[in-house]
Amino acid sequence: MNGAALDRVFREASGRIIAALAVRFRDLGLAEDAFSESCLRAVRTWPERGVPDDPAAWLFRVAERIALDSLRRKRLREQNPPEIPAAEPTAEQAMLEDSYLIPDERLRLIFICCHPAVAAEARAALTLRLVCGLTVTEIARAFLVQEATLAQRLVRAKHKIAEAGVPFELPSRSSWPQRLEAVLATLEIAYSKAHEDASGAGSHAGFAAELLHLTKLLTDLMPEAGEAFALAALIRYAEARRPARVDSDGVMIPLAKQDPGLWRRDLIAEGDALLIEAMGLAPSASRSLQAQLQRVWCRRRSLNEPAPWPTIVSLYDQLLERRDDPIVRLNRAVAVAEIAGAATALCDVEALAAPSLMDFLPFHAVRADLLVRTGQFDAARVAYREALRLEPNLAERRWLEHRLEALRYS
Amino acid sequence: MKYALLIYENESLYGPDKVGPKIQEIVSRHMAFNQELGTKRIGGSGLKGTATATTIRTTAGKKTVHDGPFAEAREQLGGFYLIEAENLTEAIEIARRVPVLQDGAIEIRPLLGE
Repeated sequence: MNGAALDRVFREASGRIIAALAVRFRDLGLAEDAFSESCLRAVRTWPERGVPDDPAAWLFRVAERIALDSLRRKRLREQNPPEIPAAEPTAEQAMLEDSYLIPDERLRLIFICCHPAVAAEARAALTLRLVCGLTVTEIARAFLVQEATLAQRLVRAKHKIAEAGVPFELPSRSSWPQRLEAVLATLEIAYSKAHEDASGAGSHAGFAAELLHLTKLLTDLMPEAGEAFALAALIRYAEARRPARVDSDGVMIPLAKQDPGLWRRDLIAEGDALLIEAMGLAPSASRSLQAQLQRVWCRRRSLNEPAPWPTIVSLYDQLLERRDDPIVRLNRAVAVAEIAGAATALCDVEALAAPSLMDFLPFHAVRADLLVRTGQFDAARVAYREALRLEPNLAERRWLEHRLEALRYS
Repeated sequence: MKYALLIYENESLYGPDKVGPKIQEIVSRHMAFNQELGTKRIGGSGLKGTATATTIRTTAGKKTVHDGPFAEAREQLGGFYLIEAENLTEAIEIARRVPVLQDGAIEIRPLLGE
């Protein structure tokens, strides 16, 4: 097994193992350190003795032993020792089957990471680190912050959880509605980071799959939470389009130009089933509307069918009734351009010019496109350069560069 | 009449987790002070650092939970409850019920040594 393969094993196993250790030892730092150490031992011993049949179970057992040793040493150092929590024997453990050895505590870990007393800006980062196994470097890049800043934010959040008594139990049913919003918002941010990487070739490739799994777990746990179903559906519709998002030259393809024949019908079918539940439970929630928007696109079977712009505009209108949001208005303008013309859409976009949008890449990209379509080429060039300045990912950068290049003789 | 004496100091003096020689020094001085106070002392404790604080703000009747201590020049600390709660979630539930006249904030701080 080479380095990249090892890395993949570690990443895939990390969420489940860290969650199981964290809940068992009630200590996030200990869980993280023990897991890292077990990965180091794997790197040293697997090449010699061979890769175990179930690498995740091996890593879990070794990490568990490392954590216990570390607690014992701590106990010796301190005069009055903390009690080492006894392992709760589970039916799975009794079976002693390797693949059943690790209890799935990821949802519990998500609730811990998304506790309202944890700083909102740290919740998604902490979830990505502990539940999805991303490195600090990767998360810092995704959130466009300095690595040291992010590392400090994570340390602070873990310290707060350890010292302030954030519970390691799942919250009581009565408080779920109150707690669910923070969890959904965190998973949404996490998914938007996975989605930005259009080609899926980057470091986020694995965690989009992880988010498909986690949102499904959430709906299993909370069969009455309509918005959880809506988010699970939305993520499936968006992931379904991944195979069509980039052309063979690695250039991003806008949604309306993607070949629906390449979209994953299995994920779309899963999304449909989840959306039906969401519409039954929370028909007027923003997330249900957002999932419907995705569904409208996913119903397209080929590029010969007309794009569903009128339905898109009406769904955005309904969304705006619930929450007037500049990003929703921007997306609506894209659809308006196809129905009422680019000039009308450009008026809508220019009216937006909110300071919060100045660092939002799609604002400049949409505006640039509308400027081209209304013949304002110089202004369009400026807008494309503005978009490029905001560090787009590779596929998006290539697309923007192509568009800018096409304006050369205009 | 009962008084709460709230001690404001630069917490960085005591290091990140309030362990080490400085805290030992101040604790022994507090113990001596407690002796001095005798029955006049009802209760009290050192608090963990502000990094462990959680604040429930009330603005126009709406309560929101924030990570961090309360810092606002307009309102000042006007009293404190010593409560026993299972964990931070329960402490937040109790803090939400503490009455405030208009806008305000309740800061939750775990006691040192918990």
